[in-house]
This record gives sequence, C-alpha cells and structure tokens, in this order.
Amino acid sequence: MFFLLFCPSILAVQVGETVPVCNANLKVPAQKLDLTKYRDKVLFVDFWATWCPPCKQSMPFLNALRNELNEKGFEIIAINVDEDSQDAVEFLQQFPVDYPVAYDSLGDCPAKYDVKAMPSSYFIDRKGKVRFVHLGFRHADESEIRARVLALLEEKR
Amino acid sequence: MPGSTFYKKNGSFLLVIIVLSAQTACSVAPWERGNLAKKQMLIDPNPNRSALRKHVFDSKESSQGGMGGLGGGCGCN
Repeated sequence: MFFLLFCPSILAVQVGETVPVCNANLKVPAQKLDLTKYRDKVLFVDFWATWCPPCKQSMPFLNALRNELNEKGFEIIAINVDEDSQDAVEFLQQFPVDYPVAYDSLGDCPAKYDVKAMPSSYFIDRKGKVRFVHLGFRHADESEIRARVLALLEEKR
Repeated sequence: MPGSTFYKKNGSFLLVIIVLSAQTACSVAPWERGNLAKKQMLIDPNPNRSALRKHVFDSKESSQGGMGGLGGGCGCN
C-alpha cells in the first residue's frame, strides 16, 4: 500500500489554477522550459508522444492555428513525453512544427498536470491560469479548439 | 495452533510478496504507455491476417458449428 503514495493523481492541476512549474527541456537552444516567459500570451500546452496516433494527427492543425494566430498573441508549447526523446526528434525532423517543443522523458510535467489521456491540451490565459482542458483529439474537435483560443485571445489583458 | 509454524517460517516472504503485489494496484499513467503501444505488445500482432483466417475458417467449418453460424462453405460471406 506504501507504493500507492506514488500514484500521480494526487497532484492534479485544476481549471482556474496557475499553470504548474515542471521540468522539461527545450532541445534548441538547450534550456529549461519556463512558461512564465509566455505571460501575456494565450498558451496551448499540448502533451504528445510519437506512439500516440491522435497526437500526431493534431499537429498539422495545431501548427496552422498557431501560425495564423501567433501575431495576436497565441503560442503552442508541445511537451513530448516519449521515454526516448530521440524518437520525437527524429519524428520532428520528418514532420517539423513551428512552435516550441519541450522534452520530458521522465514524466515530471504530465504528472504535475495530471494528464488523463493522450493527447491532453491545456488552454492557459494571458494571466497564466489554466482555463480549459481538452482530452484526446479528433478532427471534429478542431472548431471547438479554435473557438476557445479565439475567446481567450479576445479577453482583456 | 496448527499452521503457525508455517507463518513463522514464511511470514517475511509472504509480506514481501504482498508489498510487491501492491504495486500492481497503481495503474499505468497515460503518458507511460509507450511500451504498451508497441506492435509486439498487441495480443494479436496481425489483426488483418487473423480476420482473414477466421473468415476462411468460418466459411469452411460453419457446418460443424462452434465458431458461430455463417455461410455454407462457398467462401462468399
């Protein structure tokens, strides 16, 4: 029963809470991911892995959405949770994206966010609060994701 | 008390087994399923081939029952 203490669900992040600090590395340049640098931006934190087909399906849509709305203050931070980050690096060489990708092979970030499904996406407003959590990805979700991002972008700074 | 000697001898061993078994009560987190998602971890590594074989088997053997009633051996179902 002692080992149950290590179950991650006790560390959940809730809607309305400040975005948690966690350990993930940006490959180029090699530095720690620091979401406080993105204050005043609407953030979309996306947890993904190369073994997760819906994660990969979502990437062209997310990349297009990010490029469309980036000037209005929208940014996507992808956190890769592959146990071997090299798998993700090789995947991104084939299918590059324009938004920053951080790597967390030890699972610190998904544990702190209490990721319930893959992919999981966290909508974070300009004040750094988690406003909505989206689980999974289907093409039918695209309009909803877009509408939520636009709604957050329209909020007062 | 009958059996008490057994527990004295094997109590610590049983405790270790129980503690190790407790680890299985903690589910695999969604982001830790990379190895489980590998093709070789599937119960059926080739579902298309299995479906085709089952179809052929059903068509040939349906008159004998046991795998559900399908067509009569023409292979057209």
